[in-house]
Amino acid sequence: MTATENRPTYKYVGTRPIRHDGLEKVTGKARFAADLNLTGQLRGVMVRSPHAHARIKSIDTSAAEAMPGVKSVTTGADFPDIDPAMPAYDEAINVIARDEVLYHGHVVAAVAATTLSEARAAAAAVKVDYDVLDPILSIEGALEDGATIANKSNRTLFLGQDDETNLASMAPFGRGDVEAGFADADVIVERFFTTKAVHQGYIEPHACVADVGQDGKASIWASSQGHFAVRSKTADILGWGTDKIKVTPAEIGGGFGGKTTIYLEPIAVKLSQKASRPVKIVMSREEVLRATGPAPAAEISIKVGAKNDGELTTIQSTMKYSNGSAKGYAAMLGAMSTASYKFPNLDIQTFGTVANTPKSAAYRAPSAPQAAFAVESCVDEIAKTLGMDPIEIRLQNAVIEGDITAMGAPHPKIGFIETMTAIKDSEHYNSPVPEGAGRGFGTGFWFNIGEQSSATVNLNEDGTATVITGSPDIGGSRASMALMAAETLGLDPMRITPIIADTESVGFTDITEGSRATFATGMAVTNACLELIAQMKARAATMRGVEVDTVDWLDGAAIVDGHDPLTIAEITAQAKQTGGPLTSTASLNAAGAGPSFAAHLADVAVDEETGVVTILRYTAAQDAGTAIHPSYVEGQMQGGSAQGIGWALNEEYIYSDDGVMENASFLDYRMPVASDLPMLETIIVEVPNPSHPYGVRGVGETGIVPPINTIANAIHSATGVRMTDLPMSPPNVLKAIHEQK
Amino acid sequence: MSRTHVNCTVNGDEVDFLASDDTSLLDALRDELGLTSVKEGCGTGDCGACSITVDGKLNCSCLMFAPEAEGTSIGTVEGLADGDQLHPLQQTFLEGAALQCGICTPGVLVAAKVLLDENPAPTETEIRYALAGNLCRCTGYDKIIHAVQEAAVQIGASK
Amino acid sequence: MARVHLQANHASFTDGVRELEVDGATVGAVIDELDRRHPGLGPMLREGSSVAIDGELQPRGTIYAAVTADSDLHFLAPITGG
Repeated sequence: MTATENRPTYKYVGTRPIRHDGLEKVTGKARFAADLNLTGQLRGVMVRSPHAHARIKSIDTSAAEAMPGVKSVTTGADFPDIDPAMPAYDEAINVIARDEVLYHGHVVAAVAATTLSEARAAAAAVKVDYDVLDPILSIEGALEDGATIANKSNRTLFLGQDDETNLASMAPFGRGDVEAGFADADVIVERFFTTKAVHQGYIEPHACVADVGQDGKASIWASSQGHFAVRSKTADILGWGTDKIKVTPAEIGGGFGGKTTIYLEPIAVKLSQKASRPVKIVMSREEVLRATGPAPAAEISIKVGAKNDGELTTIQSTMKYSNGSAKGYAAMLGAMSTASYKFPNLDIQTFGTVANTPKSAAYRAPSAPQAAFAVESCVDEIAKTLGMDPIEIRLQNAVIEGDITAMGAPHPKIGFIETMTAIKDSEHYNSPVPEGAGRGFGTGFWFNIGEQSSATVNLNEDGTATVITGSPDIGGSRASMALMAAETLGLDPMRITPIIADTESVGFTDITEGSRATFATGMAVTNACLELIAQMKARAATMRGVEVDTVDWLDGAAIVDGHDPLTIAEITAQAKQTGGPLTSTASLNAAGAGPSFAAHLADVAVDEETGVVTILRYTAAQDAGTAIHPSYVEGQMQGGSAQGIGWALNEEYIYSDDGVMENASFLDYRMPVASDLPMLETIIVEVPNPSHPYGVRGVGETGIVPPINTIANAIHSATGVRMTDLPMSPPNVLKAIHEQK
Repeated sequence: MSRTHVNCTVNGDEVDFLASDDTSLLDALRDELGLTSVKEGCGTGDCGACSITVDGKLNCSCLMFAPEAEGTSIGTVEGLADGDQLHPLQQTFLEGAALQCGICTPGVLVAAKVLLDENPAPTETEIRYALAGNLCRCTGYDKIIHAVQEAAVQIGASK
Repeated sequence: MARVHLQANHASFTDGVRELEVDGATVGAVIDELDRRHPGLGPMLREGSSVAIDGELQPRGTIYAAVTADSDLHFLAPITGG
């Protein structure tokens, strides 16, 4: 079900063809990184720190090197020093420790051998002498006076000083006068929310194969959201030129932000270089959970003031996010993501801290779910206190185009009101709440980004087309590229082959993240197609013996007055005769990314004896701008909803006092399974983004932002209990019921 | 190192391979027979990405040792299609967009086929519980359930 | 003179001042002038920020975008995503 606004009539955009890479995925032929095997390849195994925090006194690899089958060994000493002020520094240290290990599982060495069991045996034989230090494991612990410094390279340059600190960032946002605002408020809600670290949970562990030839050039096959970034990050960390590295993207088995950074490739390359053999490294699930970046835990104190008529006037909040072992923008992004309501008076203080836990990585709308949990729960409480409908109070205060965000820049054209209205008009909302259940409403958004993309479109002799991009397909974007090319050229999408090419075969393209692929790469594809049309018009003019400015283009054909139209196939059949092959390349640094807002509705039943929360019905509405391939837009909305539901109800990192993760398996890190969820109804709203030729807004991320607050609000409706700590798992729900009732 | 010679049937073909006794059937299928459709997602039997059938029964190949396959008949997703005819499940998964990254898809298809072979007209709840051993992080399961329902209808109609 | 708005983490380089007036024909020229007045601010703005000119968010890395005497520049934390 789709709500639209003066939508142009498209022939192909908005249809649901079978995706071009679908057949190989349902027949088992699709090749993921771990499926690749090169002749003579070695298997690489990491040596990981058994301590959450320690200085490395010495590493002795001599025993490992002498073991059967071992062909190369590497430690941090093989990697160049990088200036801590450089952007690559933290990632370089994260890939392999130098003199300090920063979390349990931090890589200190690696071994390559002819079989996996030989490599594992050799890895166990690497002797590391540690000076164990106290670990910092919490936000509170990080900020205590005299606390151990979790990462001695983290310095307060952002405060204009140069001291070691556990504070990774500090940024206030403000406008208006919160003191006056609260003094004037009729209703004030003040709460403290906590969330735990959660993992992106991609089913495919990180994997890569690297092959360094005797010419010193590396070929890498990687599971990554951005193979150009794998190239540049690997180059930076090894101190190599990017011309010495070629990266081919394998099919990727989920990323969600967790594969926008690198863990394996520089090590695989180094091991391969030292052994002069290909090296394959595949993480185990345990390694993924212990040592790759989760989304940050957060502590948010918040106070919201409103007038009796429902105007939300004042918000004051302190947001603290733990970035894990190195600095990041987590807290700042959290504050910025509160920009859904006008709030004339706003004071948000953000603090990012460092800890001896894995360096946090992006996870779908990073930092927004935690902040939205706090803001949307308070708005829900205010609505209920005032006896107002939860949608009505939000409609009244919703931001529209031109409203200033917390950062100071105004919102462009956005669809927050339209998205909430779609829920208000939905069958779910207008149906009675089931007996004994509670209904909750919540919202969220993500800014979305543009960045750099390149695309090449080649017309084949028979009038079919190949669309070549550099954006790894993490959600069906390949099909969308074909649809946008189809629409622009006037060519059936099943006569178009979309591929994702390696770093030598397509122009530079930034990581598939920030919901940018369909937006920015789609723009590049469209521009390349428009340029091809100009070329084809010129060829048609030649074929008809007319001036090119008398040629029009319509429905996949060149129109010349007084002549029959010339189809693409007729033009390509004469390409050689009229000037040569028909190809075009376009590239850009895209501006004008449109934010995507979402509104969710959930009916839940809470068993007050066991604390089990059952979701009876769930509906997600989201503004896609224009849904190029609606099935995959729905897929993003449903996937984000399921991840948000898992984050809300069950997922959490559990650490021992020594900083060792105690639930590092899918049994104990409990993600939603099919029997946990109902059908996830979707409503695509289309408020086109004026900056994109087809009105596209990125949709991949926003869907994960509302579920936590939607479910918390539903639990409150069902039981009167306000959940402020994640996860809302049975023991935690029971505890809250006993405390509050 | 000594390895055991294992003889079994895979997707109807007689095959044989060598594997040491501590090699999982998952690794043997992938590394010795090149059946890379069987994926490792966790290695502990919790995600179902390595799902196969062993004499018709659904199993996690990561939880079996390779020599246990001796004399058995193993089924993987490669055995679903019949020549140039996709299995109805494969067709409904494609038409219903019941996959995104595709890493869980082979295991889900194997589990769904076992379900429909045993229970040709399952309810939504029965489908959800039959697939509860297959983790998917991309889809939220909604389109997967719909695709299985649709395949059940198509299989029933063609009888 | 163009009006420049900084985030709070930038302001630690400017003794807390967040609104400034700066001359420059391009974003890059404005950043260079800011770095000249407040050493260390330049790299933070060039690598660690996005910029909006008169409310329009620019493609990231823009230093050649034109700035006039009436321009309103906001330097913002870089948005990425996942």
